[in-house]
Amino acid sequence: MEDPLPQVLIPLLKGVIYAEADPPRWQKLLDLQARIREVAALMGLELIIDEAEGHAFLRQREFAAEETPLPRLVPRRPLSFLVSLLLALLRRRLLEFDQSGGDTRLVLHRDDIAEMVRVFLPESSNEAKLLDRLDRDLKRIEELGFLRRLKGQEHLFEVQRILKSFVDAQWLGEFNERLAAYRKHLEEDGGA
Amino acid sequence: MSPDFSRFPDYHDLVLLRQQHPAWRLLAAAHAPLVLTLLHAVFIAPNRRALPRQQLIAILDDLLFDLRQQEGGDAFPKPAAAYLDDWAGDDKGWLRKYYPEDSDEPHYDLTPAAVQALEWVTGLQRREFVGTESRLLLVFELLRQMAEGSETDPEARIAELERRRGEIDAEIARIRGGELELMDPTRLRDRFLQMQDTARRLLADFRAVEQNFRDLDRRVRERIATWEGGKGELLAEVFGHTDAIADSDEGRSFRAFWDFLMDPRRQEELTGLLEKILALEPVRQLRPDPRLRRIHYDWLEAGEATQRTVARLSQQLRRWLDDQTWLENRRIMALLRDIEQHAIAVRDRLPPGDFMTVDATAPAIELVMERPLFQPSARIRIEDRVVVEGEAKTLDEALFKQRFVDREALADHIRHLLRSQPQVSLARVVAARPLAEGLAELLTYLELAEADPRAVVDDARSETIEWTGSDGVVRRARVPLILYCR
Repeated sequence: MEDPLPQVLIPLLKGVIYAEADPPRWQKLLDLQARIREVAALMGLELIIDEAEGHAFLRQREFAAEETPLPRLVPRRPLSFLVSLLLALLRRRLLEFDQSGGDTRLVLHRDDIAEMVRVFLPESSNEAKLLDRLDRDLKRIEELGFLRRLKGQEHLFEVQRILKSFVDAQWLGEFNERLAAYRKHLEEDGGA
Repeated sequence: MSPDFSRFPDYHDLVLLRQQHPAWRLLAAAHAPLVLTLLHAVFIAPNRRALPRQQLIAILDDLLFDLRQQEGGDAFPKPAAAYLDDWAGDDKGWLRKYYPEDSDEPHYDLTPAAVQALEWVTGLQRREFVGTESRLLLVFELLRQMAEGSETDPEARIAELERRRGEIDAEIARIRGGELELMDPTRLRDRFLQMQDTARRLLADFRAVEQNFRDLDRRVRERIATWEGGKGELLAEVFGHTDAIADSDEGRSFRAFWDFLMDPRRQEELTGLLEKILALEPVRQLRPDPRLRRIHYDWLEAGEATQRTVARLSQQLRRWLDDQTWLENRRIMALLRDIEQHAIAVRDRLPPGDFMTVDATAPAIELVMERPLFQPSARIRIEDRVVVEGEAKTLDEALFKQRFVDREALADHIRHLLRSQPQVSLARVVAARPLAEGLAELLTYLELAEADPRAVVDDARSETIEWTGSDGVVRRARVPLILYCR
């Protein structure tokens, strides 16, 4: 019989697998997870399965100090400060959304998001410039796979639940540390 | 806030209810007739659970158009979409707006409060016939079930069952004796109306049941989110809530209803009974809604939606209660508070350049052959010309297209020959440079002659052109005498 492993492994190498999008493939993934982990480990990757949220993806494995690290297969995407902040704020919305009830799809309007970041921007910035920049940042986040524009509705975005796996406590902790250091630096400069 | 059914609200409760309860607010709203008309037409009459936004807007648009015609142009000034947004807003709460799993378009459903308002208005119309006997019997039946179900003494239960068997035996004996007692039309109609009422109400109840599950779910989540005590206490607290939804009165009753309805024998029985009853003359006189015939399928459908909601809520709640998630969420909230404070402090001098990184959601493997190769962009000629029925003339063009003939090279060849002589016949042209592409090439020469106003085609005389095909066979063609001129 044909080995079903490639049917799961190759799509995983190309992107996130969602349970909802393809239930048979998802089932195969669950059945084969031990083998996938093995193969992934050979490439310095780690399989992450979130059964409750229904998604799975490959992540770059952390290497211990005594190990020889393998070349990275998962690229790191650089983020501007505002994109980083937006991701954090979207993460908060997702958390609050989960706290408030049983719906699973968080859909936000661009103006909602603008309202959310406004307080973190210099007061002088004018409205049009702000929205322009926001549109660019939203596009970037869309490319990263954490927002999805609703079909035919330019200004509505669904927050992809996979954001939870990437913007986690560890990521936010690092963001916080860096931001605190930057703030301290400004204050020592006498600038803030 | 669940209403206390055991007492009538006092004055202050009533004031509060009128201010806050969506059903009362709907009845008191200036546009109530519009809202009720729409909601009834869209959800109640066809028994529909969800409608996509665009469809609902279209229906409301039509309704508004009609009403403006009747009431004057300024009767309903807002566009349909604005009304919908208004009615689905938190302060109104007559429509529930949500995104189903498989659609990017918002969908709408009635809220239980809107159903209540609709039912109340429906009840205002005096019914032709109010049956009281069936209600009394129902009360007796319910009391009997309760008394029997809570009887702990086996002897008493057996005695009751024997009494009923005695009654049944007596009835069998009466029928055997030719004494067949039929229910008179009035009693039939009474029971039918009672049944119809209950059946419809059951359908409306699903919305309320679902809403109650949602409320319950929210209360549990709020309780956990605002929990300030230690982790041990939290676990003790939430332990009682793990199956809060499935174990609620509503959850159990719904479960029992569902099991009952899912039993194939029950389904068959219901179908058979409904068929039989709807065929009775006294019932037909009431002109019952024909959809009543399949009401149990509507129950199944509505029940299934509720079933899904309950399953989804339970699953998510369990996850929410998951130890690790809870701790991570608390940590995330604390971090976010810090981040926000720092971000506000630095907002006049935002960090320039890249600040953080995030891993891509998949490994990036560059596949060389997946990159597109260079391709000259195709030039497309668009002619704005009506295509007429084929003429013989186009035939040669079609044939010529079968093979590649370098038209320019042939024209060059003719021009070259014309340098040394004022005119040259096609036979000479071909003699100087034999046809390499056979017929296609010959046709190109003919075409060049046709396109060139200086070329002469003499139909009265002819020449023979000869060439060797790629298969080595010599071919001849007789063509009119063609002279290319300078």
